[in-house]
Amino acid sequence: MTATAAARSDRAQNRQRRWAPYLFISPFFILFTCFMVVPIGAGVYLSLTRWAGLGSPEFIGLDNYTRLLGDQSFGASLGNTAFYTAFALLVVLPASLLIAQALDARGLKLRDLFRLVYFLPVVLSPIIIALIFGLIFDGEYGLVNAVMEALFGFGGVSWLTDPWWARVVVVVLVLWRWTGYLTIFFLAGMQAVPRELHEAAEVDGAGPVRRFFSVTLPQLRPVTAFIAVTMLVNTAQIFEEPFLLTQGGPGESTLSVSMFVYRAAFQRQELGYAAAAGVVMFVIVFALGRLASSAFGVGRTR
Amino acid sequence: MTLNRRGLLAGATGIGAAGIGALAACSSPTQGDPLRSGQADLTLWTHDPGYATFFTDAAADAGLVGDSAWTYSVEVTSIAPPDIISRLINQAVAQRPLPSMAGLELGQFPRMMREGIAENLLVDLSPLTDPLGDGLLKTQPYTVDGGVYALESDNSVSVMYYRADEFERLGIPEDVATWEELLDIGAQVAADTGQAVGMVSDGDNTAIVQGYMQALFQRGGGLYDADGELIVLSEENVEVLELMAEGVRSGALLSLADPYGSATGAALKESRLIATVMPNWYKVYGLEANVPDQAGLWRARTIPRYAGGGGIASTLGGTAFGVVKDQVLTDAAVDFLQRCYLTPEGQLARYAAGAYLPTLADLYDTPEFQNLTDPYLGDQRIFEVYGAAVAEMPAFYQAADLAVLRDSLGGPVLRALKGEIGAEDALREGVDAYERQVSE
Repeated sequence: MTATAAARSDRAQNRQRRWAPYLFISPFFILFTCFMVVPIGAGVYLSLTRWAGLGSPEFIGLDNYTRLLGDQSFGASLGNTAFYTAFALLVVLPASLLIAQALDARGLKLRDLFRLVYFLPVVLSPIIIALIFGLIFDGEYGLVNAVMEALFGFGGVSWLTDPWWARVVVVVLVLWRWTGYLTIFFLAGMQAVPRELHEAAEVDGAGPVRRFFSVTLPQLRPVTAFIAVTMLVNTAQIFEEPFLLTQGGPGESTLSVSMFVYRAAFQRQELGYAAAAGVVMFVIVFALGRLASSAFGVGRTR
Repeated sequence: MTLNRRGLLAGATGIGAAGIGALAACSSPTQGDPLRSGQADLTLWTHDPGYATFFTDAAADAGLVGDSAWTYSVEVTSIAPPDIISRLINQAVAQRPLPSMAGLELGQFPRMMREGIAENLLVDLSPLTDPLGDGLLKTQPYTVDGGVYALESDNSVSVMYYRADEFERLGIPEDVATWEELLDIGAQVAADTGQAVGMVSDGDNTAIVQGYMQALFQRGGGLYDADGELIVLSEENVEVLELMAEGVRSGALLSLADPYGSATGAALKESRLIATVMPNWYKVYGLEANVPDQAGLWRARTIPRYAGGGGIASTLGGTAFGVVKDQVLTDAAVDFLQRCYLTPEGQLARYAAGAYLPTLADLYDTPEFQNLTDPYLGDQRIFEVYGAAVAEMPAFYQAADLAVLRDSLGGPVLRALKGEIGAEDALREGVDAYERQVSE
């Protein structure tokens, strides 16, 4: 091999080495561009148009956003979504933590059975869940009203047809459906906490409550942060529960922002308006997600 | 054999390329010169297995299509009602294959009325329907700017189904003349036995408003007039809502979330609900499905009139079939649909296949239908009832913004039914919410 040929070969190898990392990471960016950047860009463009689905979208500037600002339905959906999200963070999350703590107790029998039972709602079809909840909370023939009637002598609560109670039933469904799922994460986190820490605290005279607050909770901080951010982002986009249980009713009392987007796009053929609502939801969820990540320190090196 | 990374990547690429090729091969050419005769392999999108069976059988029925220039076969794709319209639009925008025919649920059709979607996607069938005039029922809901874009499959005429045995036991006359009388009797029955002579829906907005619409139509009211103008605040509409609210208050009418749901099934099963006004198909999907053991105990009659006016029938729901335009098989599909839906033979076959009521008004008086008896209804000659009802069947107009109106009215109407707000105030509140959204 001549010196020139050897130099050419080296340059080719260098080029290969230089480009190889980019080649290996490119699939993600290609997919990210195709399935995230382009749709988001198209969504933002659509949000500036009036379009029913066929024909060319008509550019109308920020009219859709102006309309959203004055739309009471959108306001109601934002309020409902905020209620669901607050409930998820303030009730579902602590409930999961407490259940995980109970399941982590030493000497607990049938631990796997309990885990299975708590996890079951996650793998059940949402349609089945909605049907069952519809039966349980039916105003005339529901189980809850029947039990209340038998125990307390009154059972005429309009669970699904009263605006306030309908919201309550939706969050009860959220609680029932997601608590077990989050419990698994907490449980995994708890099992990673070194036993020695608990033993040391016990030697120092800490009781179960003190150990929970001084050992378990601090050790679970990264897990809690991850779960809180995930739950916040997921609940802010809640769709299945109110859609299947109440269709957003009665009136619009359980309508969520995702349902508002769906309704505008696929029940009213107002794709531009739906895109505008989707963009607003994206901005809100993104901002809340970033804020929560920052507040909880997600991904921060300990 | 050992598999290295290079081999794996090459294999995956090969499989991907083969998959794309296979997907491309799955598409069938739908655009080109129209097929004038010969083999027509129609494609059909519908949500209802009953229609799938009917059209598949009809394609091979010599009595229906024997003298056609085309020889038919039908391939059916089952799709949920809202998705049919979404996919039609998506496929059209993406210039991907469209079906020859699509089943469009009545409540979904307003989506097609917006921005010329129906006109751009479907064949205007008015050259077929115009000669039939008023003899063809229920074309109004599928009419856009004078063009009829789909043909109704089932007349969906509403009558009153009632438990003859319970009516006899409770001393309720089977020929009560007016709603007002029936609700008075119903109030007494409810107080004595807890049974109800009718139901209203308090479930989702669609169910609430559909139930209200059915009552409105009978009274001569409606949500839109023939020009698509809103008429929600008419006297008839207020009167009907007041009467329904009074019926709920007295217990004559039972509030149930879903007329097809489990609570209604329970109410029927324990004979708490002993009468209900619903369309003809409810006998199959509501009564026979929930209470097969009550066969022979139910009867049908026309609906009692309102004292203030209106008719003895109403209508609710339906599914119409449209033909997708500008395709190779468009002419063939129009011919096929005409033979199935606009001929007496086709209408009789439809009734035999799935108890779909004729949409040709004249047929109700023919012996083929008049002689039919229904075992579930105690061998009643059911077309005597349906025929009388069809003679007074109200028109059903809808508009592109019906979905907005449903969502706007659902909450206030429910509150009116529960007695929390007056009927007129409820309707005004709904109209205000509607106008806020539509005027923008």
